[in-house]
Amino acid sequence: MKWVTWENIGVDRMACIWLIRRWIDPKAEFIFVPAGTKPLPNAEPFDIPGARYSHQHGHCTFYTLLKENNVNDPILTRIANIIDEADIVQEINVEPAATGLDLICRGLRRISTNDQEAHERGHLVYEALYAELSNNEG
Amino acid sequence: MTDWLLLHYKLPSKPSALRVYAWRKLKRLGAILLHEAVWVLPDQPRTAEQFQWLAAEIQEMGGQVHYWKANPVLGEQDESIIQQFNQQVDAVYSDLLKKIDKPRADLQEISVQYQQAASQDFFHSQLGILVREKLTSKRGEKP
Repeated sequence: MKWVTWENIGVDRMACIWLIRRWIDPKAEFIFVPAGTKPLPNAEPFDIPGARYSHQHGHCTFYTLLKENNVNDPILTRIANIIDEADIVQEINVEPAATGLDLICRGLRRISTNDQEAHERGHLVYEALYAELSNNEG
Repeated sequence: MTDWLLLHYKLPSKPSALRVYAWRKLKRLGAILLHEAVWVLPDQPRTAEQFQWLAAEIQEMGGQVHYWKANPVLGEQDESIIQQFNQQVDAVYSDLLKKIDKPRADLQEISVQYQQAASQDFFHSQLGILVREKLTSKRGEKP
């Protein structure tokens, strides 16, 4: 399936792409369009205001993707909480990793020539995060 | 010259919880309400995203919202708005400076409050640097 989002991905969308590739749609193809572009036919929009896969009820798009696709994995839920804190201003914060993760993902986009390269690099960050959190939970 | 983000919205008067929710979120972002009318933030990647999502949320809650990027035509307007942003964080910082030196100060609590203020410190207040230095110098000190 084709998936579309706005350019300049950060903490939430790098995680979404990683999640889609690993758990939802291994053959996914990603298209990055300038902010404000009209919806494309035959491509599922994500993290675009108004889309089904977007911020919902004060949660990040990663969280919405988990819920809507019934992905049940406590580690992924934990990652969703971290991204909620990294991407959305909260009054209560319990995940100190959030701020660092946000900075690293912004920096990854900055040192990449395009979003394609940025999400490939982001993949490794989320693989690492998942592995470490799994190890801690065990 | 700084570019600015302007947000103007109208939410249904009932339930009032929605209005409280939006207002608290704007305060938490560190936005400034100009003349009881328009909320302002400096245009940065993070603030632009936060306003974008808040605008979407306000629509989801049945409200009407306008969201612009703008730059002032009169240069000195910048200065007075920047000053308002600085005053907002400096109020918190000076309060923290008083607390830090008290005997048995709760430094952990103060660091959390410092981080919250720092996330709204868009123009790098000098007082913020001072709080940070004071806090880090307290590390490892025996009570």
